[in-house]
Amino acid sequence: MESPCVHVVDDDDAVLVAIGRLLRASGLQVRTFASPQAFFAQHAAEDRGCLVLDLSMPGASGLEVQEALAAEDCSLPVVFLSGHGDVASSVRAMKAGAVDFLTKPFEAEALVAAVRQALDRDCVSARVASLTPREREVLGHLVEGKLNKQIAAALGASEKTIKVHRARVLQKMAARSIAALVRMTERAGLKTAAQ
Amino acid sequence: MSVLRAALVVSGSYYLAARLGFALTPPWSPISILWPPNALLLAALLLAPTRQWWVLIAAVLPAHIAAQVQSGVPLSMVLGWYLSNSSEALLGAAAIRLLCPRVPRFDSFRDVNVFLVFGALLAPLASSFIDAALVTLLHWGQGGYWRLVRIRFPANALAALLVVPLVLTWAQGAGAALGAPLRRYVEAGLLFGGLTIIGLLVFNWLDPGTRRAPALFYVPLPFLLWAAVRFGPMGVAAANAILAAAAIWGALHGLGPFYGSPEYNARDVQLFLIAVSVPLLLLAVLLAERRRVELETRGQRQQLAHLSRVSLLGGLSGALAHELNQPLTAILSNAQAAEHKLAAGGLDGAELKEILGDIVAADRRASDVIRKLRVLFKNGDTQLQELDVNDVVREVLDLAHGDLTTRHVTIVQRVDARLPKARADRIQLQQVLLNLVVNACEAMSADELHERVLRVETRRSAHDGVQISVIDSGPGFASSAETLFEPFYTTKPHGLGLGLSISRSIITAHGGRLWGSGAPGRGAAFHVQLLAALSPGGHAPLVQ
Repeated sequence: MESPCVHVVDDDDAVLVAIGRLLRASGLQVRTFASPQAFFAQHAAEDRGCLVLDLSMPGASGLEVQEALAAEDCSLPVVFLSGHGDVASSVRAMKAGAVDFLTKPFEAEALVAAVRQALDRDCVSARVASLTPREREVLGHLVEGKLNKQIAAALGASEKTIKVHRARVLQKMAARSIAALVRMTERAGLKTAAQ
Repeated sequence: MSVLRAALVVSGSYYLAARLGFALTPPWSPISILWPPNALLLAALLLAPTRQWWVLIAAVLPAHIAAQVQSGVPLSMVLGWYLSNSSEALLGAAAIRLLCPRVPRFDSFRDVNVFLVFGALLAPLASSFIDAALVTLLHWGQGGYWRLVRIRFPANALAALLVVPLVLTWAQGAGAALGAPLRRYVEAGLLFGGLTIIGLLVFNWLDPGTRRAPALFYVPLPFLLWAAVRFGPMGVAAANAILAAAAIWGALHGLGPFYGSPEYNARDVQLFLIAVSVPLLLLAVLLAERRRVELETRGQRQQLAHLSRVSLLGGLSGALAHELNQPLTAILSNAQAAEHKLAAGGLDGAELKEILGDIVAADRRASDVIRKLRVLFKNGDTQLQELDVNDVVREVLDLAHGDLTTRHVTIVQRVDARLPKARADRIQLQQVLLNLVVNACEAMSADELHERVLRVETRRSAHDGVQISVIDSGPGFASSAETLFEPFYTTKPHGLGLGLSISRSIITAHGGRLWGSGAPGRGAAFHVQLLAALSPGGHAPLVQ
């Protein structure tokens, strides 16, 4: 698995360089692309991290890139940048699962916070992806606060089996407690895996 | 205070004019060849607001008495003449003000005709009846009633024709005339000096003999036409005055081409001067009016072009904000990156230099956008200059960059690097091209994003002109491209439909052409063709 990396796509060279510099200064790993085409040419399905996408680019919009990624089943969380606070586009972007929608010019803190949140989400979804289907079901019940007994009843399994699953889930998700697990999935903005 | 000063000036000049009138009175006649004080008062009344008229009329009374008493006229006749003189000025001024509520302008054919009919014809005629009646009643001088009317009327009509245009044109245009460049002074010196010499030659110095006489009258004509064409009504007024001075002086002293009895000479010189000055004045006024209308039309066209430019830029404001946001974003992110690194202690000199360089470049880019905008917002006179059309295309695409990006339009430029220069107004050409680019972008708004391609091409056209084409990939023209150029025709919900028609009028005023082409479904193309500038060692000029 590749180490998490921020992929920045913007057609404006000056902005691209500046954002890259800013994110690197915050200790992040960054790759910059001058166009969606350049990004797709170098993109691999197993890439981890997040995507910072400019909304206004010649020949394509950031929203289209987001859709194309979804069609490829790529789950890189997206932070959108826009030159103008266009409500319709931001609603569409957020509905399609964007982490944040920033209007240029933005504060460094805002971008870094959004990127960290996106990376978090990616990290959590990577962990979720490593769960077995059964474990994912258990995770869904766990974050809803259900007891082992209730989960066992719902899934038609013994309480002992659920206990094993639960330990595996916590271990794979790197959570020390159910509370930490809930916090983690909420912060990453993930829908529970049970859905 | 200013009323008082005006009254003093009018009174003083009335006195001088009356003395001049007496000086031009032949010994055998009670009435002068030229009687300027009434005309002077008329001019003063026309320049003054109506409520000050009584002040001016009262102010000339002492001047009138002072001038007349010296000439040994009895007081009753002095007062009688005051009555007829001021009634002439008042009648003329009142009729003119009624028909034309401003100071008559000598670049308005109508104003001048009103002045000619009421100020120079009817008012002197009416007051001459009063004058003759008074003279007859008071038994002053010889000659019957009708003879008096016949002598006084032309003397006053001629004075009105000579004095009023002179005073009014100078009062209204002295500032502009005095601020003229040196070469105009030289030309005026040649004209008026030449006219004076010719006038003296023809009317005073040459002994004409009987056969040369008729031709001599035409010798001053070239100078008078010169004055009318080059110096307008003001020049004609001055030239008429010079001609009149020379002719009257000659006639008074029995010199020049007038021959006959002294009384006939007086009438001939009056007739001659009236016949010459009226058509010349009208010619100059017609020329001045045409020039004024031309200037006004040009001003209106410019105003219209400016308004449409402002509305074009207004429509682009969102895109322009985007265009400014980009460099602002780069500046802020660069500066904050430097702050982060500085705080972490990891910023070396080379990197700092690089960041600062990027900040400076982004700042320049932003100010560049603002500078270009400011130029386009300006409302200035048309300035034709030789310019590189490729430069203008680049500037326009820079300005439209925000609009192009937010509309996801890909731009393809194909410019001819060896393009001859064109002669055009930079701002207006930018406006036309910007308008075409914005239209093209709007035409593609229904296309798929990756299909939105705008092509901008420059090339040398037939006859060595310069052609710029703006071609979109939109749906093309539904009907004839020509309908798009009709004023108020629009395909946009919020459009005024003036952009293209104004653009075409701009290009036509440049001597160029703007037209559309393209088949339905295959995109629209608009072409601007301009004349190539004459360049000494370069390409041949367009001669067709």
